[in-house]
Amino acid sequence: MRTLVWLLVVGLFALLSIALSQLGVLDPVKNGALTVASPLARGLRAVASPAADFFDNVADRQNLEDENRLLRQQIEELTAEIASLKEDELIAGDMAALAEVEESRPDDEFLVARVIARDPSNLKERLAIDCGSDDGISEGMVVMSEGGSLVGVASKVLDDFAWVTLITDSNSNVNAMVLESRAQGVVSGSLHGGLSMDLIPQDAEVEPGNAVTTSGLGGTFPQALLIGQVLSVRGDPQDVFKKAEVEPAANLSRLENVLVLTSFTATHLTSP
Amino acid sequence: MRYLLFVPLILFVALAQVATAPYFPLLGVTANPLLVLLMCWAMVRGPRETMILIPLAGIFKDLITSDPVGASALALLPIVPLAAMRERWPTESEFVPTLAVVAAASLSYDVLYMIVLTAVGDGPPWLQSPLRVLLPAALFNALITPIVYLPVRWATTLSEMVRPGMRVPG
Repeated sequence: MRTLVWLLVVGLFALLSIALSQLGVLDPVKNGALTVASPLARGLRAVASPAADFFDNVADRQNLEDENRLLRQQIEELTAEIASLKEDELIAGDMAALAEVEESRPDDEFLVARVIARDPSNLKERLAIDCGSDDGISEGMVVMSEGGSLVGVASKVLDDFAWVTLITDSNSNVNAMVLESRAQGVVSGSLHGGLSMDLIPQDAEVEPGNAVTTSGLGGTFPQALLIGQVLSVRGDPQDVFKKAEVEPAANLSRLENVLVLTSFTATHLTSP
Repeated sequence: MRYLLFVPLILFVALAQVATAPYFPLLGVTANPLLVLLMCWAMVRGPRETMILIPLAGIFKDLITSDPVGASALALLPIVPLAAMRERWPTESEFVPTLAVVAAASLSYDVLYMIVLTAVGDGPPWLQSPLRVLLPAALFNALITPIVYLPVRWATTLSEMVRPGMRVPG
């Protein structure tokens, strides 16, 4: 009987808290809790980091060997490409394409933010940054790695902090394009933090190693932000669409600092 | 008085989980040491203390993650009835049932958590979740149970020796 009463009381209290949380009533409390907890969490992470690196190395040995093989192959390909590009250097086409990308975002403004936490849930891929609405961040702003590739979107913004939903989150969808063939598709996250590009037209040429960028369609992301690289392509000839596995360009599990694109405002298109 | 020690300990474990668990994945998932500790606690010392600790730990964890506040408290609720069931059917060995209830608590935690996420419009893919998250997480949590169970058992035995009048169930 005592257990039943406890279950009812705590269950109702939890449901009420969830409702209040969804209404944003508890956001100041969350902001305060993160202010207190983030330095402690950073300290704990610093202590745990060497152990995490050790386990990473043990677990990733086979991956490292594969990656090494792939990188050697890529070096060879890139060297050949560089030789070819040197000849084309004087051709204005490439220069024009570069200028086009720059012109498409002439007034980009960034805010540098530090990653302070990562959501421990197995069902979400999110991280917290130490900038919030007081710093000019609003929901929907695009977040990039220091190298300039796409990381995710600010999905929950508190006064001094923001939670960023990574592109690898199972609810994340990004309109994307294969740079080499201009083939368009949608890059989606999955439960294990991988990326896949769906809805690629069957006749599109997509090969491992191709770069995948945002297409800008839908207005949620700016155009030509690097997402990653095609790892493999799947799909039978009779399928309507192909599917590609994509490796994120940024190391999303070890981000320390990110750039928030404050000058880009996402537009949410509604059907006519 | 004892809660002056227990509450900070549980809050520390919640904080440590949030800060470090994502960096130690196994089978593609991260462990939930807070759930394992609370379950072991309820099994060794009885569910009474965990009735206080569960709401505190759940709310604190939600405050420092992106979860809606209350989601973890709700998802941790089955720990108490699971421990109460164990009290009703006592067995000779205490450790083996603990492994089983940790796995059960892990599964129920994830299912309740997914229901909350779905209700707030942030739902994960339900069809993929059982094989990709629920079962590996239950296995991972069961694997770390001995690391948590033994200190809880030792600490409880020690406290019984210091205070022989205190009766600890289990």
